Amino acid sequence: MNIVVLAKQVPDSEALIEIKGTGEKLEIEQKFATSLFDEFALEEALRVRERLGGRVKVITLGTGRAVEVLRTAIAMGVDDVLLLDHEAFQDGDGYATALALSRAVAREARDIVLCGKQAVDDDRGEVGPMVAQFLGVPHVGSIVKLDIADGKAVAESLVDDGRVVVEVPLPAVLTAHKGLNEPRVPLVAGVMKAMRAKIPRATPEDLGLAPNQIGLAGSKVRIKRYVAPKKRSQVRFIDGDAYAAATEAVRSLMDVERVI
Amino acid sequence: METVLIFVETKGDEIKKASLELLSEGTRLAQTGRLAVEAAVLGPVAPHLESTIALYADRVVHIVDTLLDTYTPEGYAMALADYARTSSPKMILAGATQMARDFLPRVAVLLECGIASDVTAARWLDEPVTVVRPVYGGKVLTEVSCDGSPFIVLTRPNTFDIASSVQKTGEVVERQASLPAGSVKTRLLKKEEKPKGKVDLTEADAIVAGGRGLKAAENFAILEELAGVIGGAVGATRSVVDAKWRDQGDQVGKSGKTVSPKLYIAAGISGAIHHIMGIDTSKTILAINKDPNAVIFNYATHGIVGDLFEIIPAMTAELKKRLGVP
Repeated sequence: MNIVVLAKQVPDSEALIEIKGTGEKLEIEQKFATSLFDEFALEEALRVRERLGGRVKVITLGTGRAVEVLRTAIAMGVDDVLLLDHEAFQDGDGYATALALSRAVAREARDIVLCGKQAVDDDRGEVGPMVAQFLGVPHVGSIVKLDIADGKAVAESLVDDGRVVVEVPLPAVLTAHKGLNEPRVPLVAGVMKAMRAKIPRATPEDLGLAPNQIGLAGSKVRIKRYVAPKKRSQVRFIDGDAYAAATEAVRSLMDVERVI
Repeated sequence: METVLIFVETKGDEIKKASLELLSEGTRLAQTGRLAVEAAVLGPVAPHLESTIALYADRVVHIVDTLLDTYTPEGYAMALADYARTSSPKMILAGATQMARDFLPRVAVLLECGIASDVTAARWLDEPVTVVRPVYGGKVLTEVSCDGSPFIVLTRPNTFDIASSVQKTGEVVERQASLPAGSVKTRLLKKEEKPKGKVDLTEADAIVAGGRGLKAAENFAILEELAGVIGGAVGATRSVVDAKWRDQGDQVGKSGKTVSPKLYIAAGISGAIHHIMGIDTSKTILAINKDPNAVIFNYATHGIVGDLFEIIPAMTAELKKRLGVP
């Protein structure tokens, strides 16, 4: 079983983010972590390999600290990694990012492509389905259970009003949701191996992509400005015993704010 | 005239709320005389829904095919993209439901166009159209635009008001999608739906959510009762879901669902950042917690410091009285 995982290093959810100037860019505290849902994808890839054999390859796109997700993956036990490392890949929208990733995936032997259901920085949730469409294969989104047998994947997926069980032939793209598994903590030996590992890289040229197809230049949508969310006004505490507070809360919600 | 194509999602006898919101926005846009509104429904729909949708749109296109009888991202993406190629809309709009977020990225690839997912505000008449979407779990908002067309925009449920009176009489046309045999490889094996009458968390007007302060799974019954009285849904924090007190589908927050109700009642929830990220665009937040220093109070509109096991039942009783619920 050949498994490709798409994963991403993102700012930690505790990282401070500041909007600079008139909103043209962000300054982000240098605290990073593997995107939450990608950890489930990595873990599931390893579990499928443990059950069925094969290899796991992890691909990420980015410069600088982006490589850390690959080292984490090596420490967890994946076989191969690839870094799409070039300035031109940077600052792409979902489309440009998915195009580059799908080209990188297309060069690999793959039965399953796993990724998180969304990255927790851009919160787009577009790349998984887009990679599937670029590759011309089916996908199942937000999965919480996965079985692979007879060239098919049977996946349980969370939908708005419950859950569905879906079958797709391989190759297919599967996006991981929380609940799929409990990601393992890398062992020290793995971490040591990861620190020493050489990280293979690919450029746009390697993927047969022109600079105007990728990154910011290849993006279909553009961020014009960053703005701060509206600050909530300070909390109004409702005093009194339980009965008095409950009555006042109901009055306030029904008669003043009219949200009931 | 340029057109806006609205993908209308239905469930049983009803139009999904996020779709109704966009249809309502559509009628407002049509009134400016600058845009015509087309609505697309895919697969089997209750016949009376076509005429309901026609009250909001200049034209309703019902796209049918045996391959659309059950939802698949491949089939829906192909069918909608094929139709959009013939009608060349300026924008394709849909509610940011799980379904839309599942298949519309594929439409963007098929049409080689831009998409903005989970939008919380829009300036439809700007040139170019500009929409607002939260990133980093809502810590920052981005203003996003798209150079080409169509621009696919998925809006978070509870972003727009639903129009109270509509009176368009759009024509209804049926269109055969003619999807090639074998082009849909996904097979639905089983569907487990929430019991009837339960409100979806993401589109609920009111949510009553519980955290560790509930102490045990069975204590969520008091939240269920309150939610039942106000027609809301019950949500839960990550630790409660991890403790298996509630289902994964009930989880609100960064690793669960992002919600935007008119009223969010947080009972026994301390207010971890990953939970706040999922409720940030709620209109009113009422927090109930024993600990006066709980972080949740920094994000709440109203706060009650006290025992939720006394306050929640007292609120339920008061609401029953005021709403005339037996």
